[in-house]
Amino acid sequence: MTGDRSREEPLFRPLTAWRPKLILGSLFTGAVAALLFYSWGYQIRNDIGVAGINRPVFWGFYITNFVFWIGISHAGTLISAILRVTSAEWRRPVTRCAEAITVFALLIGGLFPLIHLGRPWLFWFMIPLPNHRGLWPNFRSPLVWDITAIGTYLIGSILYLLLPLLPDLAILRDRHTADNPDSARARIYRFIALGWRGTAQQWHSLESGIRALAVIIIPVAVSVHTIVSWDFSMTLQPMWHSTIFGPYFVVGAIYSGIAVLMVTMYLLRRGMGLESYLNDKVFNNLGLLFLAFTLIWGYFTFAEHLTVWYGNEPSEMAVFTERISGKYARIFWAMVLLNVAVPVLVLSFPRGRKPWLTAIVGVGVLIGMWIERFIIVVGTLSLPRLDFTVGSYQPTWVELGILVGSFGCFALLYLVFVQIAPIVSIWEVREGDHHLNQVHSATEHPVLETT
Amino acid sequence: MAHIHVPAEVSVCYLPRSRKANLLILAFIVVGVVSFYIRWRQDPQAAWISYITNWLYFTSVSMGGLLLAIATWITKAKWNWSMRRVNQSFVAFLPLSFLLVLPMLSLGESYFPWIEMMAGDPVVQKKSAYLNMPFLIVRNILGLAALFGVALYFVYLALRPDMGLTDQRTEAGGKSEEAWRARLTRGWMGQEKEQVRSYKRMTTIAPVFVIMYAVVMTMLSYDWIMSLEPHWFSTMLGPWFFMGAFWAGIAATALWSMYLRTQHEDFHRHIGLQQRHDIGKLAFGFCVFWTYLFFSQYIVIWYGKLPWEQAWIVRRSDEVWGGLSGLVILLCFVIPFAGLIGRKPKTKPVLLAFFTSVILVGMWLERYVMLAPSLHHEGDPVFTIWQPLIGLMFLGLYLGSVRWFLTTFPAIQVWQPMVDPETREAEIPAGFATD
Repeated sequence: MTGDRSREEPLFRPLTAWRPKLILGSLFTGAVAALLFYSWGYQIRNDIGVAGINRPVFWGFYITNFVFWIGISHAGTLISAILRVTSAEWRRPVTRCAEAITVFALLIGGLFPLIHLGRPWLFWFMIPLPNHRGLWPNFRSPLVWDITAIGTYLIGSILYLLLPLLPDLAILRDRHTADNPDSARARIYRFIALGWRGTAQQWHSLESGIRALAVIIIPVAVSVHTIVSWDFSMTLQPMWHSTIFGPYFVVGAIYSGIAVLMVTMYLLRRGMGLESYLNDKVFNNLGLLFLAFTLIWGYFTFAEHLTVWYGNEPSEMAVFTERISGKYARIFWAMVLLNVAVPVLVLSFPRGRKPWLTAIVGVGVLIGMWIERFIIVVGTLSLPRLDFTVGSYQPTWVELGILVGSFGCFALLYLVFVQIAPIVSIWEVREGDHHLNQVHSATEHPVLETT
Repeated sequence: MAHIHVPAEVSVCYLPRSRKANLLILAFIVVGVVSFYIRWRQDPQAAWISYITNWLYFTSVSMGGLLLAIATWITKAKWNWSMRRVNQSFVAFLPLSFLLVLPMLSLGESYFPWIEMMAGDPVVQKKSAYLNMPFLIVRNILGLAALFGVALYFVYLALRPDMGLTDQRTEAGGKSEEAWRARLTRGWMGQEKEQVRSYKRMTTIAPVFVIMYAVVMTMLSYDWIMSLEPHWFSTMLGPWFFMGAFWAGIAATALWSMYLRTQHEDFHRHIGLQQRHDIGKLAFGFCVFWTYLFFSQYIVIWYGKLPWEQAWIVRRSDEVWGGLSGLVILLCFVIPFAGLIGRKPKTKPVLLAFFTSVILVGMWLERYVMLAPSLHHEGDPVFTIWQPLIGLMFLGLYLGSVRWFLTTFPAIQVWQPMVDPETREAEIPAGFATD
């Protein structure tokens, strides 16, 4: 394996010594993350009434955040798996930071149903075990499907993150052992590298394992957000009971996932000096994928609204009108602007797919996708089919604190991860360089330049 | 992940002409037209149901094939270099498809139940903004003209550079070929310039086509399927319809390619293991995807049990139609899923041809089951021999037009644009095998 070793230095820097910038960052994000636990603790102490959710809007920020974070978790695994399965070569520097997003976003997303429970310690009622009265959970409830799907996905994506990590952990082990075999770092990496020696047999097993997982994880990821969508569409609520919701949510999830990936990659590139890995080409390609999902998401939103308008069912039209021209019109059109107009205008041009621009578009899309989930959750609940319970929803500081804190949590987990494992898969990039050398020596065709 | 070898120079080959095939196609068309006439005398509505389901099917197949050509263009795929032209050839059916839709637009209350219901049904009255004949006619004509126009332009751009490369070599050189060559080379700027121009323009219009495809196909599914049960609506119908069309296009591409392999030694060589395996993977993948879309729609409706919504499903699963619907699931999911899952059936031409034929028959029935039960009268048989007989007219026109294209223009694209090295480097000769 050949490769430019000096290029790898920025990757090793946070892994070999404490970096003040990262420590400060961790402390700051830790403080923001504490907001989540403080607010949640306050809610547990003083009961769920301190949140703004009330009849008929039982699902407010919490479920919005749940859908939002589970959606983001589709960044990693799905994008990385799709790129692996189609053997897109430019994936190599991207996969690791995407896969890490998945795991952390899932952990945070999975927290929200618990936060949403008035008595979170009873969460185990959801687990398919009979309780002390011999009652099983209702298997016809999409909430039970949720637990199953998200649990499977969490296990799968942790494996999917760890498996390609092994050779890199071994690289770190060797590095630390060479420096000082008795240091704590050397010992830890010796343990977590699980005896990776890089024998032909090990490589063979690893590669077939990654390939199999990449194929398996795609249907799992699709099932997760489909089932999350069924939490809504299995009800009869207007504009929830929509057959398109499964694929619509999956597309939205991947879309917001790419947005987070864009922002994260940009921050990593700036913060860690990874310009040589996360280069303009990677942003350009990912920007194109981003644009494709803008259009797919735009189409699904169009199909959803067109059909509701065509169907013209009174209670659905009530919700529809609130969105298009009523109480939620302002945020609805902001969503359209952020999720369709801006990305199309910016990303359609090669100049618009510069790293900083894609990151800005990414932030916009994240806001837009959060709004989308908010409109779906609250917009419908405030106008249910039985209209004697029409109501509205105002979040309290507890809910806002938890929302802000969840971003802190995510950033903290990510920063900690950066200090444990290389955020770019070293061995995969080396492998790519190796292949590139081979191909360059074999190139004989004239090349038509493209942007 | 095998290395994809695109030869630097592709030999020019055409689908050999065949008098036998022409006669057979002519017979198909004649039988189809006569059957339509007889059926129309017996029961005009039933005749039109057959006509419209077949039109939807063959238009779906053609559009789906073109979408594959354009989607692989956008993603800069190279594996299908020898099959690009097969996809592009489906464009030849589009002008016919456009002519064939015109009589459908002249159908009035004899076909669309909502026209009559508009008078007394408040639910339907609310939909009058969408469901009215002038709007229906305008949106169908404009939508199809625009979509077909973009598709034709795309294929025109793809063909043009080939004309420069086949100029001296062709031996087929009939009158019609020369006329087409003259048409396609009008304003010729030189080989290099033409290639760059085609490449750039095709890259620009390809995404436009994809967007239009989604919107226009959604509209077709609403106008010709959803509106027939005016109380029913499903947000999924559009995506389900056009992804099915894409799948049918993929299956048809595979089948045509397997047919071409038997026709000429060059096709036999170039439609190799890599191509078969990849198109087989697509056919399998879309089988899963079709099932996912179908199931997502089904379970939401089943779970909700809203009367006006589940009526659509109930009608298709009662004892009258249930058998046919079950057959669709068998042909579109069970058989292709079980059959195409391994590597061998994807790469073995006979098996690939068999399973893609199953898919194509399944999709043909699927379009029928989507549409026909909505207009079914109690006591009438659900499926008659007239359905395939009338289908022969469309089959004949489709086969004839595609065959004409493949005999007139090089059936393997001669001009193979080399894309940027970043995508090339993906294909590494790791255990690489060709046929």
